[in-house]
Amino acid sequence: MIPLTLKAEFEPSQNEPFVVRLGDDSGLGGATIAGELDGSIYFQYLGRTFSVECARDESLVGDVVFANPVNGTVNRWLRSGAKHNTLLVTERCDQLCQMCSQPPRKTHVDMFPYLEKACLLAGSGAQIGFSGGEPLLYKQQLFELLERVSSKRPDLSFHILSNAQHFTPDDIGRLAHPAFERVLWGIPLYSSHPGLHDDIVVKEGAFDRLLQSLSILARAGQAIELRTVIMQSNYQQLPDLALMISDRVPFVSHWAIMQLERIGFARNRWDTLFIDHSANPVPLEAAVAQACARGIDAALFNMPYCTVGSPLKAFLHNSISDWKQAWPSDCTDCTAKSLCGGFFAWHPSVKDYARGGAIR
Amino acid sequence: MSEMLPLRFRRLDSDTLIFADEAGRFFTGNPDLAIRLVEGRLSERDKDYLKSRGMVIDCEDVNETAFLHTLARRMEPPAQLSYVILVPTLRCDLSCAYCQVSRAAKNARGYDWDETTLASTIAYLDKNGGKTIQIEFQGGEPTLRMDLIERVAQFARQRFEKPRFVICTNLSNLDNDLRAFIEQEDVSISTSLDGPIWLHQKQRTETEPTTNAFLRNLREACRLAPGRVHALPTLDVDALPSPNELLDAFDEFGLRSIYLRPVTYHGFARKRHPTSVAYDPRWAAFYERVIEEIINRNQDAKDDPWEEFYLSHLLKRLLRPGENSHADLRSPNWLAYDHQVIDFNGQIYPTDEARMLARSGLIDLSVGHVSSGIDDERRRSLQSNAFNAFDPWCSRCPYQAACGIDPIDDIARHGFVGAAKPSTTFCQRHLHLFDLAMKLLNSPDSAVRATLSKWLSLPASVDLGRRYV
Repeated sequence: MIPLTLKAEFEPSQNEPFVVRLGDDSGLGGATIAGELDGSIYFQYLGRTFSVECARDESLVGDVVFANPVNGTVNRWLRSGAKHNTLLVTERCDQLCQMCSQPPRKTHVDMFPYLEKACLLAGSGAQIGFSGGEPLLYKQQLFELLERVSSKRPDLSFHILSNAQHFTPDDIGRLAHPAFERVLWGIPLYSSHPGLHDDIVVKEGAFDRLLQSLSILARAGQAIELRTVIMQSNYQQLPDLALMISDRVPFVSHWAIMQLERIGFARNRWDTLFIDHSANPVPLEAAVAQACARGIDAALFNMPYCTVGSPLKAFLHNSISDWKQAWPSDCTDCTAKSLCGGFFAWHPSVKDYARGGAIR
Repeated sequence: MSEMLPLRFRRLDSDTLIFADEAGRFFTGNPDLAIRLVEGRLSERDKDYLKSRGMVIDCEDVNETAFLHTLARRMEPPAQLSYVILVPTLRCDLSCAYCQVSRAAKNARGYDWDETTLASTIAYLDKNGGKTIQIEFQGGEPTLRMDLIERVAQFARQRFEKPRFVICTNLSNLDNDLRAFIEQEDVSISTSLDGPIWLHQKQRTETEPTTNAFLRNLREACRLAPGRVHALPTLDVDALPSPNELLDAFDEFGLRSIYLRPVTYHGFARKRHPTSVAYDPRWAAFYERVIEEIINRNQDAKDDPWEEFYLSHLLKRLLRPGENSHADLRSPNWLAYDHQVIDFNGQIYPTDEARMLARSGLIDLSVGHVSSGIDDERRRSLQSNAFNAFDPWCSRCPYQAACGIDPIDDIARHGFVGAAKPSTTFCQRHLHLFDLAMKLLNSPDSAVRATLSKWLSLPASVDLGRRYV
């Protein structure tokens, strides 16, 4: 697992957090490397020096970090080597999804000025993710950030994870701004049965509100990635969901069907939530077939290569972010590794899957 | 205030009706539902079902948005010229009884592109083509002018991203130039194989030496261009092979995709086959028997399934809004937009059929010339007849959205575009095919489902029918 938070030391007079691009000697005002000593890299920025503890094989060059002298850390917000980086807008949320990988908190710290600075410092052509909590609880601030950033950095694109409970018809005009042509909205939908979806997100009326938002986004010409985490409760009905998508939300760009991530709420509820798709692939195969028959682009996320049969392999995506991707020892010598998305570092085990195992 | 989308229905069998909306979304139900619908006596359960299918809408709600989106995808205009048929020569070395294009004798003069036409054609493609293009060389027998084909290909490979080429040839010759050309990965071959050898010889090659040369060349072409050789049978209702004979003849060359077409009423065929104007019930029966046999064979075929191209396309049209690339079946039929035919003399036509009509002196449906470009007024006047949604018959038909319209075919067969749709061959043929497709979609037979899942490239065999009971 690639560490995202590193220990750092700052000059005593440095007590305000700041966002900076590391190792930038292009004269654009990033932190330049002053030297390396005893496992730390020393940087100079605006006449001051700070050091970051860093393993030998890690390069920090090009990373955009949030440096926090108060607790002596540097957070690698936008790693230069990563395909996708995600910024946390808030930890508040108005849903309480059963399997939430990042359970919400009541408190909110306004980080928008720092987030904006980070976007402006991002590498050329980067895709920046926004997540939470629910980012759209701060809809106005987020929209303003996107509009300002994209006017200065038209090369950037954005992926925003949202429960889509907060779009209103008057957003349609606002979403016509060119900034939103570069946004892909990642929106979870767990079931075609309103009651089940509401149960899963623990919010009454969420399903109906979600459909209202999806309609608004479609009318605003927005790109939508529909996301469905499979669980014991919704797995058997997955083919129904495929049909519902083709009937009622056919305007989505694609449908991501995702295996559960064993962290957050899912860690303690694993036994009641996790469904092994390899033990009974029928609902999954039928759902993908129904989607595919109707021109809905289905994609499988977080499913190790060995756990799906050959008909579904073409639908697999390497979706686990590099920093949390891992391989259990069972995978040593597996010849299909380059085709596989791997496992979540929090729980790298093939043993969850009846059918999994190294391909040799 | 909720509103129900207007539904059209049609009987599939004694206790099944097909119901569909304007966007082509469908389900099957029993006749009682149609009665409840007409009499305004829908139950709460009926209404819930229709709502869950997106067929009950509220102003700007997700169902209305989904409906409009689906409708729009079906009508979406094409972006740019992406498929062009070129006719470098009208000369041919065969004289098939039902030749669908007017042809000229092998040694005739004045039926080939001259330098000016070649240059204008290339300039025209350069100016009007998009990012990529597919170029089909037709004739006559285009391989009589490999030099022209080579020059077009050379230009296209420089100008376009990944251009594709199709050579339509009778394969009576396979000389070194043609061999070298078809060995290239971006080239495919389209030829004619009328089924069993005896029939092919009777209809096309006439003598045994010519037949043998063709068979040798076809085998060789399959070797040189594996997976890139396609053959079409042209079938005469008065001399149909048995389904097995037909499929076996194709299998002999590893060809598993067939596009079953009866002789069409164009070109010379019109003079010699006056009966080909109507949709012949014998053809309908034959077609169904071939499909049955294909489904039967696919139970054992593992990787390389048998396919009837057109029925497979119809299924895709039924299920996937936006599947509009095949210019023979769509509405609006964007005539001479993304798909154009450039004749040996540089005239531009919307379809090959339009070119044939002009050649046979019936009506000039050309829409421009490579030297002067598209004549927008002529193209528009054709376009005004190329939308089926306003037709009084089509607009009551559940297949309207997935079906198409072909004013050129109507002119060729019936002499004008306004014929009552149910009396046209186009309508009769497509009703037959769509009914068949719908029965297959709703079939519980695992062999049928397996074939459909292969045609649609699905990862699993599933029940594609939507039934409300």
